[in-house]
Amino acid sequence: MRTISLYVEKESFIHGLDPVTKLWLTASLLIIPFIVGNIESTLVCLGINLALLSVARVIRRIFSILAMSLVLIITLFIIQGMFYGGNRTEAFALGSLVFYREGLRYATLLTLRFFNIISASMVLILTTRPSDLIESLVRRGLSPRIGYVLASVLQIIPMMISNTSTIMDAQRSRGMETEGRLVTRMKAYLPLMAPLVMSSLVATQERAMALEVRAFGARNPKTFLHEEIISRHALPIRVLTSLGLVAAVIWRVIL
Amino acid sequence: MRVRVENVRFHYRLGEPVLKGVTLDFEGEATAIIGQNGAGKSTLVRLINGLLKPVSGEVRVGDWNTGDFSVARLARRVGLVFQNPNDQVFKSVVRDEVMFGPKNLGMSGDTALASSREALADVGLEGAMDANPYDLSLAERKLVSIASVVAMNTDVVIFDEPTIAQDYAGVQRIGTLIEKLKARGKLIIAITHDMDFVAEIFPRAVVLRRGEVIIDGSTREVFSRPDLLRDSFVEPPHATQLGQALGLSETVLSVDEAVKGIKGHRSRLGGLAGSDTAHDQQFFQ
Repeated sequence: MRTISLYVEKESFIHGLDPVTKLWLTASLLIIPFIVGNIESTLVCLGINLALLSVARVIRRIFSILAMSLVLIITLFIIQGMFYGGNRTEAFALGSLVFYREGLRYATLLTLRFFNIISASMVLILTTRPSDLIESLVRRGLSPRIGYVLASVLQIIPMMISNTSTIMDAQRSRGMETEGRLVTRMKAYLPLMAPLVMSSLVATQERAMALEVRAFGARNPKTFLHEEIISRHALPIRVLTSLGLVAAVIWRVIL
Repeated sequence: MRVRVENVRFHYRLGEPVLKGVTLDFEGEATAIIGQNGAGKSTLVRLINGLLKPVSGEVRVGDWNTGDFSVARLARRVGLVFQNPNDQVFKSVVRDEVMFGPKNLGMSGDTALASSREALADVGLEGAMDANPYDLSLAERKLVSIASVVAMNTDVVIFDEPTIAQDYAGVQRIGTLIEKLKARGKLIIAITHDMDFVAEIFPRAVVLRRGEVIIDGSTREVFSRPDLLRDSFVEPPHATQLGQALGLSETVLSVDEAVKGIKGHRSRLGGLAGSDTAHDQQFFQ
């Protein structure tokens, strides 16, 4: 069954790590720059994330995402460069538009943080199957019901996208116009949404019944089809990231 | 109305052809398109009603090249009944659901109502006009979806798996409807895996395999080629298989024909063997 996933199938050291270690790594590299709060720490974390993506051979995938955010970044520099509350020192002027060092520095920090959030998230998303992540969390105490809800959302959305296309085709085959003026397109909305919602509800109900007849609601402890493999690198990585977090907190408290 | 498919090639993804130069001509007789899943049957009918456009080649419905017309426009000539009725039913009253297509085609309220009433009567649901489609069984909803296309009164009517979810009475009802449409001069094309239905209703059958037409002929001719059908994972009707297993010289399409064939065979053997017991033993050996 298709699921929503950006996972890229590759053989790499990062792919071989268990999902919880990757989750821990991602969370640490994402939080540390916020705790420390300076550009340097953000640059270090971003560098580590880019190195990890490079090792996992998926770094190309994030370029398109970063490129899409270009407009947002430019807007950020313009707004903060001119209007940041702490602006004191003039950096340069474009005609009557004056940009300040403090604002530009703050915009740089925000941009690096944004890039860091994206790249840290991508380390997890691009190298981990969602089903593996959910199973790992269930092993560590997440309710199987919540795990199922998360997994089914990832499965249902592609199914709904596929259904949308079929329903649209069925209505167009009955002469419904779907292109042209706004009113025409608005009119096409109901014949699309009603079967989509109804079929999704029916599918959800049938799925729930199919699970129940296979004793999903039984109260005894669940077993797992696959054995969890923990890489030998997992422990050092968890220790290092924990130390990094502690160091970041100490840095923040002392300085 | 004539539908011509000329050397049509189609793919959803580059390098993975779904149709590999299909040429077919539909005019007058009802045609069943059969073949294993993934053979390209649904793609072919979606090309005919314009939902898909050929990568190369052309599809003509009458004098219209489907590439030049929107699906909504082509719906005036081609009606397509989808496999799953839940993909189209959205109104809360059967009558409104069936009138949706005719109204889209510009029929007046009265004409659309009359056409819908007639179509619902054709599928045996004249009493369900005021019902909520979701209160009906899946089989009845399928009949509603068929009626909603029939009510559009198009010259070409395409059915995708018309007998799905139907019991014997439902299959008979759909068979009768198709016969009525044929009598009204409609061009009928159907995709189906129900070979008994094909043998009973369709004089012509087209077998697709991996995007190519491997047999196109009368249904009797098609079912007389078990070797090719086996390669396409198509199983002939049981009566046909029985006739072939018994070594009947003619390909039979129904139980009646099989009985007639067996009786003829028996009488021929009877003439040779002389007694019932002797020729029965010889026949069944």
